[in-house]
Amino acid sequence: MHEHELNPWRTLIVLSVFAVLIVIGFFTLQKPTMKYDLNMKESLTVLNDKDACFYPWQLEKVIKKEVNNVVLFDIRDRFTYGQGHIPNSENISAFDLTNKENIKRLENLKKKNITVVLYGEDQLQANGPWMLFRQAGFKNVKVLLGGYKYYSEHKEDLAATKSDESYKKGTPRFDYAKIASPSNTGIEQPNSPVKKKVVVRRKKKAKAASGGC
Amino acid sequence: MNRNYIFLTILMLFLAVGTIFLNKTEKLKQIEPDKLLWEIIQPTRYVSTDQVAKMIIQQDPSLEIIDVRNEKEFNNFSLPKAINIPVDSLLSETSLENFGIPGTKVVFISNDDIKADQAWIIAKRLGFDGMYVMRGGLNCWMRTIIQPVEPPEYAPLTEFATYEFRKGAKLYFTGAKPENTETKKVKVIVKRRKKTKAASGGC
Repeated sequence: MHEHELNPWRTLIVLSVFAVLIVIGFFTLQKPTMKYDLNMKESLTVLNDKDACFYPWQLEKVIKKEVNNVVLFDIRDRFTYGQGHIPNSENISAFDLTNKENIKRLENLKKKNITVVLYGEDQLQANGPWMLFRQAGFKNVKVLLGGYKYYSEHKEDLAATKSDESYKKGTPRFDYAKIASPSNTGIEQPNSPVKKKVVVRRKKKAKAASGGC
Repeated sequence: MNRNYIFLTILMLFLAVGTIFLNKTEKLKQIEPDKLLWEIIQPTRYVSTDQVAKMIIQQDPSLEIIDVRNEKEFNNFSLPKAINIPVDSLLSETSLENFGIPGTKVVFISNDDIKADQAWIIAKRLGFDGMYVMRGGLNCWMRTIIQPVEPPEYAPLTEFATYEFRKGAKLYFTGAKPENTETKKVKVIVKRRKKTKAASGGC
């Protein structure tokens, strides 16, 4: 006779301890700081949302503090931020974006319905973080079109950029097929310098006998 | 004794049934948001137009160019051997087959780099590796490879080297003949001096 058969509940006790351990494990499991809120298909459709972008001319009011429901986040590193940034913006480097404190702050801002505008050196730099936050359910996060570069070039007259199209991405700037065809490439490019003819003028000799030794 | 075995059998069966449900809930594997952000901020995910041009010219077999513009734009012009997958149809099963092949380098291109970048992020969320974005897109391609601009005289030597490479790449991609250097030669007009008429002194 085996010894453990003296206690018929033994297996049950071990099993229940096991179950309790698993349950405790589940509760103490570290929660990820962020979760995807949108599935893959929704993440694709949100890309076409025109309202998810922040336009350079909208900055004017933020800089003058005429609106108080917009916060600017500069996601470049501290050094480049120190060299120049949009007034009233705050520096949160892209490396620190998913810190717990920053996520909490973003959640608070979301609750208060305050728009968060991300910007980098160009639109491309902020595009990734913007997409990530959108997918994680932060509907208040927008991306600044043109980035800091466009802003610094046009900061004198931001209102005039309303009619400017040059910062908008995604459109072809050339007729590709025409430009890349062999017939086109023989044409001299306008920006290549035209070489000047060199004319050498000799000095004329004096006609009459002019002096001598 | 028998009861123990029954217990264990039931437990095993229960767990086995559980695994079936696990597989069903996660159809597309995704990486965690934190990891996705980490991947997003790596600058190594961008390639320049020169690098892409070099790979095409060298006929790198591992290169796979994905053009994310729409079909009409793709038919009008694209890079050699590019595959057209518009952003909207990125998630279809046939297009997903193009990603994650070991040893290939997938390069996303679009008019500018934003759309290509977005496609990269969507694909990255699904955990695919070996993907890149061509910085500047086709607009930059035209400015650098098809219409290279000569650097100013004070530019560093490396810029002249890139310029020379781009001029060669342009010939490769457009099929044009090299420019005739003969006509470009500077004409030097030398004016002969007139002979003096009279004997004009001397010693």
